[in-house]
Amino acid sequence: MKIQANKIEHYYGIEHVLRNVDVTIEAGSFTAIIGESGSGKTTLLSILSTLLNPTSGAVMFDGKTIGALGNIDVFRRHTIGFVFQFHYLISYLTLRENIALSALDDTAVELLMESLGIGRLAARYSDEVSGGERQRAAIARALVNRPAVVFADEPTGNLDTKNALGVYELFKRFSQEGTGFVVASHDKKIAEYADTIIEMEDGKIVKIFKR
Amino acid sequence: MITPLKALRKNRFKTALIFISMSVSITAIFLISAISGGVVSMYSAMLKTDGDIIVTQKGIADTFFSDINRSMAEEISKMEGVREAGALILGAAPVEPLPIVGIYGVSENRFKSYTLTQGFTPKNGEVILGSKIYETLKHPKTIILSKQKFVVSGVFKSRIGFEDGGVVMNVHDAGVLFHKSASIFLVSLNDLAKSDSVVEKINTLNPDIEAKTTDSFIDSYNQFKIIKTSSDVIGAMAFLMGILGIVSMMSMVVNDRKTEFGIMRSIGLSSAVIIRKLLAETLIIALFSFAIALGVSLGVLELIEHADKFQGYINGEITFSLALKVFVVSIIMAMLGTLLPAIYAARIDPMTLIQRGGS
Repeated sequence: MKIQANKIEHYYGIEHVLRNVDVTIEAGSFTAIIGESGSGKTTLLSILSTLLNPTSGAVMFDGKTIGALGNIDVFRRHTIGFVFQFHYLISYLTLRENIALSALDDTAVELLMESLGIGRLAARYSDEVSGGERQRAAIARALVNRPAVVFADEPTGNLDTKNALGVYELFKRFSQEGTGFVVASHDKKIAEYADTIIEMEDGKIVKIFKR
Repeated sequence: MITPLKALRKNRFKTALIFISMSVSITAIFLISAISGGVVSMYSAMLKTDGDIIVTQKGIADTFFSDINRSMAEEISKMEGVREAGALILGAAPVEPLPIVGIYGVSENRFKSYTLTQGFTPKNGEVILGSKIYETLKHPKTIILSKQKFVVSGVFKSRIGFEDGGVVMNVHDAGVLFHKSASIFLVSLNDLAKSDSVVEKINTLNPDIEAKTTDSFIDSYNQFKIIKTSSDVIGAMAFLMGILGIVSMMSMVVNDRKTEFGIMRSIGLSSAVIIRKLLAETLIIALFSFAIALGVSLGVLELIEHADKFQGYINGEITFSLALKVFVVSIIMAMLGTLLPAIYAARIDPMTLIQRGGS
């Protein structure tokens, strides 16, 4: 799915966090958005993923505006996955229940959990597993409906190097299977996995590299 | 399917607060309705005993103030279709050590309405006591009413709390005590279908009296209207307090769970799913609260009924229709109290919910 953002402006109160941002994410690409903390990566990612309405400007998905997509919840469920810096698993649900929360096909849950190496943890709660396992469960939740594109905001921010690399490898694996990824991170290592790198500074895109 | 019980267990403290708030409100609605309904039904039952038609002083707001000439009772009793007419004086006076007791002066033919458990029907200078007051006064041989001594000739048992906690004497003695001839006449008929024509005849007897069928009297009696209105107002206040309590608690719950709801929205669960989830949680609490409130209310009413302090005057009853009404009110209260904060949360962007919710 091709995503185009046109003239995106966003304010938090009086704070101007995105300034006239134009960007295109090609279908199936692995895009990294890098930049210092406060550069606007998370806000851009939230807007591109429909989780936040921009103050002005428009986001198009395969040429359609958000308004033309129909039910936004249905669109998100079928088309978009999101991985947060914190795992944000619901603490009173088991890992399996968290992943199955929005699953369109329940049988995909077990397969995905096995594939991500957390099958044996299905009945555990998030506070009963390690940080890396939690993030794997969060990734499984984002991937369970085989979305066209997964957005990830600092997905390795709370992980050690070994687990962080494991997450990038997972992204790469699913990217090769056709899922698009847009990952915001200040970790330069992400650049090694991405085919497009967008660099942000003070709410603006300052550079775009393509491999 | 998200299990609401799991979410409730996770938020134990707030669940407990909502549960307590809802239980108190429902109990208040139950008790107010049951007690006010009990007052009305006890008085109605008393009037309905052997009374198809009630005759009072015309235009009087309260039967306690009514004064009619009891000689008319004899005239009425001779009317076609009338089986019996009896005079009744309704009054209240202190009976040491009780500050106020219902006193009923009745004509001879009405003594049969009282089931004596001991002794005899009273003659002049004698009274019979309801079993409740007899126990409260610790089996007295005599009582003092308005500085006059009356011998207790018997004890009767009545399911009507007002009577069971009251004193019954003959209408002549009561007339002397309260300086009136009669408060009301209770007229029983041979054929209820003729009640309208008998009412019409009685009303032509004397311009100062007013006859009504008992049902019509009960429907139009001002004191009942006041009691019912007061009960409805207080019940509505309890309902509103309940809603406010739930809204404030649910606002706190929603505020605490913004991240959770933001995550749910971000993975494609609709606002309707989140609202349904919150409603399911509150409905579970409402069901438990209703059950507890019903149990507590039944217990409190039982205690009140047997408390000497109230002499059986407060005698609430929770009927099936009242329980059903309160059940519906409880569900509405839970739904309204939850919808406002739930709809508010559902309107916010998922990312804003997550950011406001913190980690």
